[in-house]
Amino acid sequence: MIDGVGGHTLWVNLTKGSIEKKPLDEEVISNYLMGAGYLSRVLFDLIPQGIDPLSEKNVLGMATGLLTGSMFPQASRHVIAALSPLTDIWGESHAAGFWGAELKFAGYDAIVFTGASTSPVYLNIKDDDVDLLDAEEAGIWGKDVFETDDILKEKHGKRIRTLSIGQAGENLVRFAAIMNDRDRASARSGLGAVMGSKRLKAVSVRGTGKLTVADPKNYLKQIDVFHKRMMANPFTPGRIKYGTTSLVELMQHIGRLPSYNMRQGVFDGFEKISGDAINEKYLVKARADFSCLQRCGRYTAVRSGPYTYEGGAPEFETQSAMGSRCGNDNLESVLFGHHLANQYGLDTISLGGTISWAMEAWDEGLLTADDTGGVDLSWGNHETVVRLTRMIAMREGFGDVLAEGSARAAQKIGRGTDKFVMAVKKQEIAGQEPRAQKSMGLAAATAARGADHLYAFPVLDEAGFDEEIRERFGKQYLPEMADRLSPKYKGIMVKECEDYMVMIESVGLCKYGTQIPPEFFYEDIAVALKIHNGLELTKRDLQVIGERIVNLNRLFNARLGVTRKDDCLPERLTKEKAPLGPPAGEVVELDAMLDEYYTERGWDLKTGLPTKDTLERLGLEEDV
Amino acid sequence: MTELNFVFGDPRVCSGCMTCANVCSMYFYKVISPARSRNRVLRIEPALDFPLFCRNCEDAPCIDACPEQALMRTSKGVVIVNNKKCVGHGECVKACPYYAIQIHPDTGKAFKCIQCGECVDRCPADALFMTTEKDLAERDKDGSMMMLYEHHKEEIYGKEEESR
Repeated sequence: MIDGVGGHTLWVNLTKGSIEKKPLDEEVISNYLMGAGYLSRVLFDLIPQGIDPLSEKNVLGMATGLLTGSMFPQASRHVIAALSPLTDIWGESHAAGFWGAELKFAGYDAIVFTGASTSPVYLNIKDDDVDLLDAEEAGIWGKDVFETDDILKEKHGKRIRTLSIGQAGENLVRFAAIMNDRDRASARSGLGAVMGSKRLKAVSVRGTGKLTVADPKNYLKQIDVFHKRMMANPFTPGRIKYGTTSLVELMQHIGRLPSYNMRQGVFDGFEKISGDAINEKYLVKARADFSCLQRCGRYTAVRSGPYTYEGGAPEFETQSAMGSRCGNDNLESVLFGHHLANQYGLDTISLGGTISWAMEAWDEGLLTADDTGGVDLSWGNHETVVRLTRMIAMREGFGDVLAEGSARAAQKIGRGTDKFVMAVKKQEIAGQEPRAQKSMGLAAATAARGADHLYAFPVLDEAGFDEEIRERFGKQYLPEMADRLSPKYKGIMVKECEDYMVMIESVGLCKYGTQIPPEFFYEDIAVALKIHNGLELTKRDLQVIGERIVNLNRLFNARLGVTRKDDCLPERLTKEKAPLGPPAGEVVELDAMLDEYYTERGWDLKTGLPTKDTLERLGLEEDV
Repeated sequence: MTELNFVFGDPRVCSGCMTCANVCSMYFYKVISPARSRNRVLRIEPALDFPLFCRNCEDAPCIDACPEQALMRTSKGVVIVNNKKCVGHGECVKACPYYAIQIHPDTGKAFKCIQCGECVDRCPADALFMTTEKDLAERDKDGSMMMLYEHHKEEIYGKEEESR
């Protein structure tokens, strides 16, 4: 038995109401680690083809990483996965907080939910006691995320950690999030709707157990080294001061701040929604998650006016999605909008991406008050942004159309509005205008869960990480790989970053510290897995595991018909030149980058699918 | 008598990351387990994180409460538990006004912070400090920090089962 884990997995059949506890499968761990890798393997085998993601046949998995709950910096994360109701392909989402560590202290590393309950339930875990309980009787069905947390703490004790959906998940909004610890979001892929379709409202956990470690003698000494490096990193003070909020300024500077849907990458009102603007008036505190040294979590408050609230918000992604992307420079509405999204359980990226799609269609005269029930969709109408957040969560009026996401909404409305859908594989592109950073364009096109900046998170060309590129890739790739406007070597970069990042999501660490700033790399993770879990894995082993997971995700999607043709971007980004700012005149040279990417991956250039040789090399030949 | 030391933290500065608790359970028990840490960290909304430690009271009610005389103060002023004498019936737990001494889930004996300071230097938020009553009054001149402890005392010192 390896150290540093809960030691068991829970298998919950919601149709039957049965719960089974199984020992951790160490063979899966040796090939996939835990977290994202574990769920990739297990769900590939369990989710049948050709099913409705919102049917009882979908399987929802939640898993911690091997280092979740450890003392490695930012070891707080868990992963949730299922067939996505937004993209109809592989769906995966991650969050930090305390829930994952608590689950391990209770003795569990993962939970797999099959079937669907006929009436609303929640899973309550108190160490060895695991019960499916009536969510209506508990008074949490129909309640928002904060109310659910309050009620469950009242009922089961204030030290429990909760994970739940809000009204958006119950109402099957296709970009509903799963929230934990009140304001942490597994936001993307619409997995909140999967929980809602299974009538699973929450998973509350209390763990009073312990994690043993493989090398207790040297553990603290080695952790001290990691902690000192993290605290000494020049990025750390800025991360503590601003979280991700000051990315608004940086992205404006490089012309990568999606604005007016994604017409352009610069926004006149950027200063009003910037990190400095938040710090000046609204920041209450920087908060951390379990073992987090960087505390990027913001706790903010608006003390008066229509947007009064207090809570955990925002992230850069929201400032971009509900701010610049909607032409909205009213900061209080952005902050309040994020708070509402947490409360109802919505992905702010797809939320802002869908509203901004509607705003552009309105601006082009393709959507009118007849369609929207009188809601005015003018650029920058902050009241509309807030109002639609509620309407989408509750599926009221025009909100019901938008609750399907921009791709489905455009299909329903027609009239050429699909031109303004800034999505890949039906998931809205996040806050990276890819004409200003080519690697992000490729990453959005290839990510397994549809448009996504995090699957590869290729940020090394963003702001002068030449030294790290030299270390991680080799000096032969400079200067092009570090040039955000050059498509050259971005296929190599995105491939390597994907392999690394899925591995990181499989050990339960944050991308902060491992990718930006790029303080820790494979060798450090290998040391951590050794002292914490007692695993002897080399850098090469971890690289192959990452590559195996990416290929298995690809096979999952290939089964559902995904090929190279789906690894595309909206035409605006590949054909229309960026109109303004530093990337003016640029388009994303996607095809050239894809060729390089598939070549690096050992995937067929025409189909974009793994070749037989590649699958054999990774031990996946039987999964075709 | 020399002034008594204790660890204290500012709930406005503490980020809630649990590093102190993890350092503690690892340092003393070679595991990671908030339930086996000699301190507690409690997040109280809105936006407060209380790192909670033995306050090393002058009158130390825990010492008097123990029928086995298992608790004593060392020459350095630290209240310690004699594991040979402790039978874990928890009178000290009841007597402590800060819920800073508890029964260890594995050993069945009382355990508490002994002001070793291992966590203080490792706090990434610089929220913790080794202090005395006098020093604390200096640090908290306007009394705003102590007011937060006073205001939330029922939540942070409540001894119901689920408080750690």
